[in-house]
Amino acid sequence: MTELIKLENVAIGYEQGPFVDFINLSIEKNQFWGVLGPNGSGKTTLLKTILNLISPVSGTVFFHNELVFGYVPQNEKFDPIFPICVCEMVSMGRYSRVKPGRRLSKKDNEIVERSIESVGISHLKDRTFRSLSGGEKQRTLLARAIAGEPNILVLDEPTASVDIKGEAQIMELVRNIQTESKLAVLMVSHFLKTVSEFSDHLILIDKDSNTFLSGAKIDVLQKESLDRFFGLNLNLN
Amino acid sequence: MEILSQFINSYFLWRDPMIVGAFTGAICGFLGVYVVLRRIIFVSATLTQISSFGVALSFYLEGIGLAIFSSLVGPFAISLILTVIAAAFYALKRDFSHISREGLIAFGFLLASGGVIILGDRITKGAHDISTILFGSAVVVDPVDVYLIPGVAILAFVIHLIYYKDFIFVSFDTESAKLFKYPVRGLNTLLLITVALVVAVSTRALGALPVFALLALPPLSSLYLTEKFKLLFVFSVVIGILSAVLGYFFSFILSIPTGASITVCASIIFILSAGWRQIRFSS
Repeated sequence: MTELIKLENVAIGYEQGPFVDFINLSIEKNQFWGVLGPNGSGKTTLLKTILNLISPVSGTVFFHNELVFGYVPQNEKFDPIFPICVCEMVSMGRYSRVKPGRRLSKKDNEIVERSIESVGISHLKDRTFRSLSGGEKQRTLLARAIAGEPNILVLDEPTASVDIKGEAQIMELVRNIQTESKLAVLMVSHFLKTVSEFSDHLILIDKDSNTFLSGAKIDVLQKESLDRFFGLNLNLN
Repeated sequence: MEILSQFINSYFLWRDPMIVGAFTGAICGFLGVYVVLRRIIFVSATLTQISSFGVALSFYLEGIGLAIFSSLVGPFAISLILTVIAAAFYALKRDFSHISREGLIAFGFLLASGGVIILGDRITKGAHDISTILFGSAVVVDPVDVYLIPGVAILAFVIHLIYYKDFIFVSFDTESAKLFKYPVRGLNTLLLITVALVVAVSTRALGALPVFALLALPPLSSLYLTEKFKLLFVFSVVIGILSAVLGYFFSFILSIPTGASITVCASIIFILSAGWRQIRFSS
């Protein structure tokens, strides 16, 4: 089975009133999914439903038996009062495979080291996470996500706090990780250009208009659907 | 010099309180790191106050002729039960009927404080005992505490040694901990129960004020002194011990209340740490 996650007739939101309903979606190995939507469109709620952090209002979410998430949250969510260093931060990604009360083994630590090297931040491993630049933080979070040897990488606005050059580097890194490790990727972003360039499948979501479109990029990126979704007259080249 | 030799010669007087103080300083310093990093300093203030209320309640029960009940359960047990219930409540409840946790913390603190004062007024043992509970003016400690407090401190430390990575994980990144199927609620409750246990035993011995000070000030000072996470715990433990030992020393030689002396010592170390940080980053 190549299906990692399957949503059947799912409604997301709150009991009192779901944001978006009748969501049907199937995420398979090696696919790169982009999730697009304006602020407050329900992207984060959809992401948390897929991550099984919140339950759907109705419908069913199926997970592959061996599904392991690699999650890259927005870096602003971490409280800077914690003087956690890069190495400690990346080690936490390995906790998906280490039960409570157990310590990381020598092998776990080697995987953590390799993850740090693979995103090019070995020179930063003793620095505190809070002292890093936006791009360095994203690399650290990527290393943390892959340290758990996931089969799906979920990224929440990975380029939100980086400049254009940093954005290109982060996205290249994500693509390389996906290709090398044969992962599925699910990435939330505000930026149509970034998402359309790197993903092969797209989700457009907007709770205000109860819109949910998903499918292969070529099918979703149609002028009519984009015009309707963004409320603009777009010129697609 | 004369004062110092007088102090050393009187070691039989301060030995036990010093042991109790040092262990309390060490374990409160250690647990305080979580309290400060999780930004729940006022949960610890409330827990110390609830613990004081428990001790006052047991004195009161003894005073109104329920001595049998009090001696069966003991002041420590009443205080422990109330503090653990409060800790579990704060660990499990983020809000309550649309009132934020901050509001609940203030409510707990104020109710316990008012309760202590009202019970204090009714306790036949007198106001001096209540003052001891709140501010820790006792220079002597109960002989049981010499074994009980180190025992509880070691137990709490062992639990934290086993769940070190897990307590840090749920404190720092609750969302990922839930994603990785960690028992977040269970770990949060266990963490706060270890704090409650330590608070309950040490409040009875030292008083609410110094226990709150030892939970808050050593980790805050350590945050000024180091950028290394593990060193944060080491520095906090050392500062906790130092504050308690120096507090007892100055209390003894200057004849000032012990609890207040410990609190002021911890505060002075905090000011020195802040100054050191200022100098380090301005140079």
